[in-house]
Amino acid sequence: MILVGGVLLLALLLPGLPLGEWRAFVLDTAQFAFLISGLALAWDLLARTGQLSLAHGAFFGLGAYSAALLAPGLGTLPALLLGGAVAALFSLLLGLSTLRLQGMYFAIATLAFSEVIRTLVLKAQFTGGSIGLPVQPAFAGAYPLGGYYLAVAVLAICAMVSLLLGRSRLHYAMAATRQGEAVARVLGVSVVRVKLLAFMISAFLAGLAGGVYAMKTLFLTPYDAFGLGRAVEALVIPIFGGLYTTAGPLLGGLIVVSLETWLRLRIGEGYLVVYGLILILTILFLPKGLMGLLARRKGGRHA
Amino acid sequence: MLRVRGLSKRFGGVVAASGIDLEVEPGEILAVIGPNGAGKSTLLNLLSGLIRPDAGEITFLGQDLTYAPPEVRTWKGLGRAFQIVQPFPEMTVRENLLVGALYGKPGTPVQTAHRVVEQVLELTGLAPKAETEAGELTLLEDKRLELARALATQPKLLLLDEVMAGLRPAEALEAVALVQRIRTSGVTVLFIEHLMPVVRALADRVVVMDYGQVIAQGSYAEVAAHPKVRQAYLGRSA
Repeated sequence: MILVGGVLLLALLLPGLPLGEWRAFVLDTAQFAFLISGLALAWDLLARTGQLSLAHGAFFGLGAYSAALLAPGLGTLPALLLGGAVAALFSLLLGLSTLRLQGMYFAIATLAFSEVIRTLVLKAQFTGGSIGLPVQPAFAGAYPLGGYYLAVAVLAICAMVSLLLGRSRLHYAMAATRQGEAVARVLGVSVVRVKLLAFMISAFLAGLAGGVYAMKTLFLTPYDAFGLGRAVEALVIPIFGGLYTTAGPLLGGLIVVSLETWLRLRIGEGYLVVYGLILILTILFLPKGLMGLLARRKGGRHA
Repeated sequence: MLRVRGLSKRFGGVVAASGIDLEVEPGEILAVIGPNGAGKSTLLNLLSGLIRPDAGEITFLGQDLTYAPPEVRTWKGLGRAFQIVQPFPEMTVRENLLVGALYGKPGTPVQTAHRVVEQVLELTGLAPKAETEAGELTLLEDKRLELARALATQPKLLLLDEVMAGLRPAEALEAVALVQRIRTSGVTVLFIEHLMPVVRALADRVVVMDYGQVIAQGSYAEVAAHPKVRQAYLGRSA
């Protein structure tokens, strides 16, 4: 809680700090890190019901394309919200058709969904197809830091939803669904409703992050917006940071994106090797992620 | 209270339940016994809605629940504990019960749910273990948790599937006392059991199943003397 508040406060103050010639680079990296952390928080919400999704790259992309297409007509904020809503709508359709699938089968179905969406966007006319889609900056460029603060806002919203859901009665329904679906039903939990609700909230937030991303990169292609890499990031970060927590995906996202950026600057093409190595080591030695490490340091519970 | 008429279910070529008629009266403890494969667990799964019948009907407190999903049956007061204990392993005992207390009856306020959990912890003797993670319990404690969680949904009729299986005699005795306390607290009980001493100690009435059918019912003594029952348990040559 304090940790999450601290990160958000720092994010708000960052543009005012004396960063010298690195300022533009730091703000740009931070903005991207906030959006990826938001995406990871969104992914984690769905994971709390036991559904491991590979569709979050697609929800991110759906939000990005929707917001990009709607912003010129509707303005930035309505376009972003509608982008989230489009992602949520698609998640409802996907959720309804995958209700009976569990574990790996669910993951494969979500992967197939991502590929279908990517192909559709690639073949469609109004999306610019494979040529790509130019995007207006946030608020049509009226505020230089508009996009940055939107990213901070998205991160704050994702973190708030994650914290609130963790403390609500829904928390128990989600955890019960994850840990034993049949038992949860016999105890009175409407498993179907819980799963679909989590799916829609999660996809909405992913779409929201995608919309802000579109207004940051200013140019979308299906390869970038729907790349499998983003779906993998959405899943790796919560595992690295600590599943089913708020601080885990939040800090995990900031660390992973910073690390990735730094490695890319240092060793260019080979950065993915080191990146992969670090993740493998984390999973091997920190099964509960960063949060597990912190809990152990506090001497609270044995891991 | 619970009325079952002509309930049937087949899995491929296997008839697991065939025209089962059953009646549960309020306040009683009813045992369902029978050899392995007699269809007892199928009956319980049909009653709690985990599988759908091919034919027949289930009426509970005057409402038709034949095709109702499991959670709706729980909301109406039909609770269920499993034979193979399946606690939510990453939750404490208290949190496990809280799931049942929060969702067993829709719209239960959080305060009320916490009160129900306290009562159930007290009744089942789990209070000292309330903050233990369910993954760390002993088998006996697991069984108690299974019962307690079903109780937390505040059932009017509790379905128990061989909850004594795997317990030592002394532990089974404790469990028998617990089921009696549950009945005293106003809950009707239908249980499946293999251990005859437990059936004799608990049941007001016994229903015997074989090959998916009810072959006899009555008091323990009546059923034990029934020729069809002896045949089912001892074989035809007896």
